[in-house]
Order: sequence, then C-alpha cells, then structure tokens
Amino acid sequence: MSRLRIFAVVNLCFALMLGAFTGCTPREAKPKADVVIWHWMTDRQAAFEKLTEDYYKETGIRVLFETYAPTDVYKNKISAAATANLLPDVFNPMGDKKEVAAYINADFIADLTEEMNIDGWKDIFFEKALAQNTFEAGNEWNVKPGIYAVPLDVNSLMIYYNKDLFKQAGLDPENYPKTWPEFIEAGKKLRAANIQPFVSGFGEGWLIGAFAQSYQWNLFGRDGIISVLEGKTPYTDARWVRIFQLFEEMRNNRLFASGIVTMVNKDAERSFATGRAAMAFNGSWGVNVYNSMNPDLNYGVMPPPYLPEGKFPLLLFGGEGSSFFVNAASPNKQKAIDFLRWMTQSGPQTFLAKETLNIPSNREVAQDLPPVLRIFSENIKNTFEPLPKVESWQVTNFININLQSVIIGERTPQSAAAEVQAEKERQMKGK
Amino acid sequence: MTIYKIKKVLNSTLIHAILMSVALTCVFPVFWMISSSLKTQDQIFKSMSLLPGSLLDIFSWNWSNYIVAFVKADFGFYFFNSVFYTVVGVFFIILIASMAAYAFSRLQFFGKNVLFYMLIATLLIPIPGVFVPLYLLLKNLGLLDSRTGLLLCYISNGLAFAIFLLKGFFDQLPKEVEEAALIDGCSRFGIYWRIALPLAKPAIATLVIMNSLTIWNEFLLALVVLQDKAKMPIQRGLMVFQGTFITDYPMLMAGLTIATIPIVIVYLLMQKHIVKGIASGALKG
Repeated sequence: MSRLRIFAVVNLCFALMLGAFTGCTPREAKPKADVVIWHWMTDRQAAFEKLTEDYYKETGIRVLFETYAPTDVYKNKISAAATANLLPDVFNPMGDKKEVAAYINADFIADLTEEMNIDGWKDIFFEKALAQNTFEAGNEWNVKPGIYAVPLDVNSLMIYYNKDLFKQAGLDPENYPKTWPEFIEAGKKLRAANIQPFVSGFGEGWLIGAFAQSYQWNLFGRDGIISVLEGKTPYTDARWVRIFQLFEEMRNNRLFASGIVTMVNKDAERSFATGRAAMAFNGSWGVNVYNSMNPDLNYGVMPPPYLPEGKFPLLLFGGEGSSFFVNAASPNKQKAIDFLRWMTQSGPQTFLAKETLNIPSNREVAQDLPPVLRIFSENIKNTFEPLPKVESWQVTNFININLQSVIIGERTPQSAAAEVQAEKERQMKGK
Repeated sequence: MTIYKIKKVLNSTLIHAILMSVALTCVFPVFWMISSSLKTQDQIFKSMSLLPGSLLDIFSWNWSNYIVAFVKADFGFYFFNSVFYTVVGVFFIILIASMAAYAFSRLQFFGKNVLFYMLIATLLIPIPGVFVPLYLLLKNLGLLDSRTGLLLCYISNGLAFAIFLLKGFFDQLPKEVEEAALIDGCSRFGIYWRIALPLAKPAIATLVIMNSLTIWNEFLLALVVLQDKAKMPIQRGLMVFQGTFITDYPMLMAGLTIATIPIVIVYLLMQKHIVKGIASGALKG
C-alpha cells in the first residue's frame, strides 16, 4: 500500500471515529459561570483566576475570565459578538471614546453612574482613571452623561533612566535632567561616553505622539489645545513648529538610538533592559517588563523635561489603563457589577498590584507600591486632562508620521507642521 | 590542473557557498527557537550565544522548560484538538475538493464557468474581513462554540484553492484513459475514484501539506468562533506565554518546538510527492 493511501485510510478512520465526538459538542455557548468576563490580558489570567476563587468562596458566585489575545482578535471578537447580540457580561470594546460611544448608543454598555454613587464607590478611584470612562454633558457623541466603566488599573508614561550608565557618563543619577536644555546636555555626555542616550518604540505611532503631546500641554495648555482641535489655531503655529523642532534637536545632537523610527516598543524595552540605551520613554508597565528581562537593572524614572519657555505645566500621557464595561442587556448585570465592586476594593487590588506590578485604580492601595511604581502613581495626577473633543485619527496619524520624518531628516519642522495643517484643513472641509 | 577544471571548482564553490548561506538563513530561526527553548529568560536577553550552555554539560540546559510548557499551557488537550481539526479538516478538503474539481474539469453543466470563477474569487477575501458575517451565520446555524462550526470554516476556507489546484491537474490528465475505462463499463464515479484520484497523488500530497500547515497554524478564526477553552487548538496554548506586556520566551520557544514537530513529520512523509507535484505541474493551476 502506498504511503499516500495509508495516510488517506488513517485520515478516514480519524474522521469516522471522531465524527461522533464532533456531533456531540454543544451547539450554543452555554454559560459555565454566573458572570463571564472576556479580556485580553493573558499575563494576568492566573491572578484573575485566583481572585475568582476567592470571590466564589466568599459569595458562592462563579466568575469566569476568558482570554482572547492579541488585542486585534479580541476587538474582532467583541464586534462580532455585539452584532450577534452575544456579548458576555463584562467586556471592553477596546476603542477610543468615539467607538465606546457607539457601543453605548447601541445599548450594549450599561450606565454605572448610580452604582458608582452607592457607598462612594467612585471615590476610591484615581480621578483621572474615572474621567476617561465618563461622558460629560454636551459631549460630541450625544451619549447620556455618566460613568460607563470600572477602571482596573492606571498608567502613565515617563522616562526611565539607567543609573549605572548615567554614572559611567559622568552624570549624577540622583539629579536627573529636569529641563529640556539639561536633557540635551545629558544626552550629549552619554553619546560622548559611547552610550546610546535615548530609546523608545517610536515605530509605533502612538508612542511618538504621546511624547509630543506632553509638549503640546506644556506650550499650549488646555484651552490652546482645544483651539487647535477646533481648527482656530493652525498646526503651523510657532508652538507646534517648536514641538517638531524638539525632535530635530534630539536628532542633531545624536540622542536617538539607531533605528528608533522603525522600532517597536518591545525592541526598545529589550534595548533598555539590556543596558544598550540609557533612557527610555515608556509606560508604567515597563517596571514589570524590565523586571522580567533583567531583574538587576538599576534604574530610576523622571518626567519628560519641561521647556523653559512653556507657560503651562507639562502633563503626561496616561490615566486609565484597562477598564471593564458591563453588558447592559446581561441578565447577570447586577452580579457582574457586584463582582467589579469587590475586585476594586483594597484586598483584591493589593493582590493584583503585587502580582502584575501595575498601578491599581484604587488610589488607597497605590500608597503601598514599590518605589519606582509609586513615582508613576504619584504622577497620575499629572496626566492629560480629558478633553471634550479628540483629533481625527487621520490628523493624528499625520502628526506621528511627520514626527518620524523629522527624526530621519526627511522634513524640516516647518514643512512637517505645514503637512499636518494641510491634512487638518482637508478633514475640516470633509466635515 | 587545467583552466577548465579550476573554473569548474570555483563555480561549484561559489554556488555551494551561496546555497549554504541561503540554507543557513532558513535554518537559523529554527536553531534559535530550539536554543532559546533551553535557556532562561535572563540568558535570552543577556547572552547572544546560540548555545544554551556548555556543550560538555548538556544536562545543565533547561530541558525542564518542555515539561513546564506542556503542563502550564495544557498542551495535552490543545494538541489533541489540533490533530483532530487538522486530520478531519484536511480529509474533507481533499475529498470535497477532488470531487468538485473533477466535476469542473470533466462534466458539462449550466453555469460551470461562472460558478468556478465565483469560487476562485473567494480566495481574494481575507479571513478577518468575514469575521462578523461568519459569526452571525454560525450563530444562526447553532454552530457557535462547536468543533463542527470551526471545522466547517476550515473546510470552506481551504476548498477554493484546493479545487483550483486539482482542476488544473485533472485538466492535464489524458482523456483517452478515461474513455477506455468508460468503454470497459466503468461509471463516472468509478473513473474519478479509480483513475483520476490515484493519478492526482502529487497534487493531493501538495494540498495535504499546505492545508495541514494552514489549519495547524490557524488561531484567529478559532478564537472568534470558539469560547470553550477545551475546544481550542494548540496555537491558543502558545498565547499563554505571550502576554500583553511580557512574553515568556523560553516557554514560548519550548511550546513552539513542540507545536512544530507534527507538521515537520507531515512534511517529511509527503515531501517526495510534493517534489513530484511541482515537477509534474501540480502547482501550475
């Protein structure tokens, strides 16, 4: 008998034997728990499962955390389930406010305002974390004002710096650069000592944008930013040109690690963790990442250095990390809310913070964090304020691409600003 | 040594050097995967060496990563699920596609060409583009979160290309052989089963390898269609080690090595046929 025929016969046997097995599988998803939560944080699954065990022992209610990762797949699954009206009890649509608003307006997400007011639940959270899940009156998406999600953790983006490499370059690791000129000087000294000064995942547009946005707050302030968003102040304004110039200045002084424009954050994290770069712009989750890659890494964190000419405080990208939304149509809505209320109390939040090295959304627990995480946590109050408007994704994309172009010397700050303004005008006309 | 001989040796050396460097670039990721599966997380980031440790002390390498990966990721039932999906899926793809391709190649029926091109057009639709309609369809059929539902997706996904490939192969078979069989009293199905199908062995072997690879490595569809962890394929097991922020590389590499073995075996079993398939025009389409 030929090998192919043997293969076919074996296949046939399998198909016949296992056919019955296939036919016997349940036809519809049957709930195996009182509350089903879909999430994407695979690295927290063990911690979540431990919490559900504790909750079951306390209340007799079974909660099931189901993981679907990566986030793209999770997002697809959520939109497919929403269309088929099969959303779980708790989920996250993983989108910006505009996308979340679409889910709320379609009655997929429950308004938690009343629940949040019971026993001062909302008071335990960082204000910023809650603000990102809140829709104010008169919002542009016509969502009924209220709180629509429970924040689980918070984060902020700052600059990590390697204390050993700072020492090696003759810099004082306890006295990090606080202003932009000091930062550039420190970078020059590091480069002179043959150390790559600065790394970040600037290949990922959002990260380069996050760095630039801190300076937008520094130079424009809240009202100035709203004026830009409304198209009243152009992107060719001298202050936006200055933001582009910051990147040019970093390039001219050789602060960037090689390949930064195409670098994804995972590579940037590896570069910093292995001592190949002295500074890294990254989120608070980096503490956990660096700990897993190199537990002996000796580092500190600092906010991005402010501009002496900046008239407003330099704010940080961050706020809400991950949040859970409750399915408005779920028959287990109350059970789901009760579980989320329990999960955000001190005990479970302390456990989560310890296990995952993230900043919990419960601000009381944040006091007991390890030193570096505590700095991040203390800076949550300095993260961007929520704005009534957001920039269109097309313009945001143009900003990020043009920042990258400035880094590689393809555009001058002036021409980059003009490009962004041209796109802004196109979008405004389109509206 | 004559100039001719020197030229020949130089040519051969050059060709071998080029081929070896190409082969090395192909094999390097596999070596890296196996080597990393025997390291610690620290070693992966700090040491650039391809060897996980001293060659004289291979027992000190982290062989336990394999056991931990197998247990931690519940590879046992994921492995079984993947074998099941691959074997049943490939079997039905070959069975249905070969019959359909034979019909498209030899039978005359109304709308044959339109139907064929419509089928081929489905090759242009990317899987993520059909998530939502597929989800709705499976829901309405009551097949969501079932192995049958996922298998039907895999089978329908593999059919278009398989039919396209096999039709091309059947088109090239000499009609005289079939006509002789018809004269001898063989039925149409008999010709397909006894003559056309055995002659299409190289094309079938090609399809077995290609579809086995596709189904074995697929997990996007599985994650969307399935909810029950017990029905998920092996790729879902690998996700356990790939966190949002942290990736457990030694475990991931050990898991990948385990997941690669069956597909390498299928390839080794079928490689003779695939070479024949390519040589005899199976991939001409």
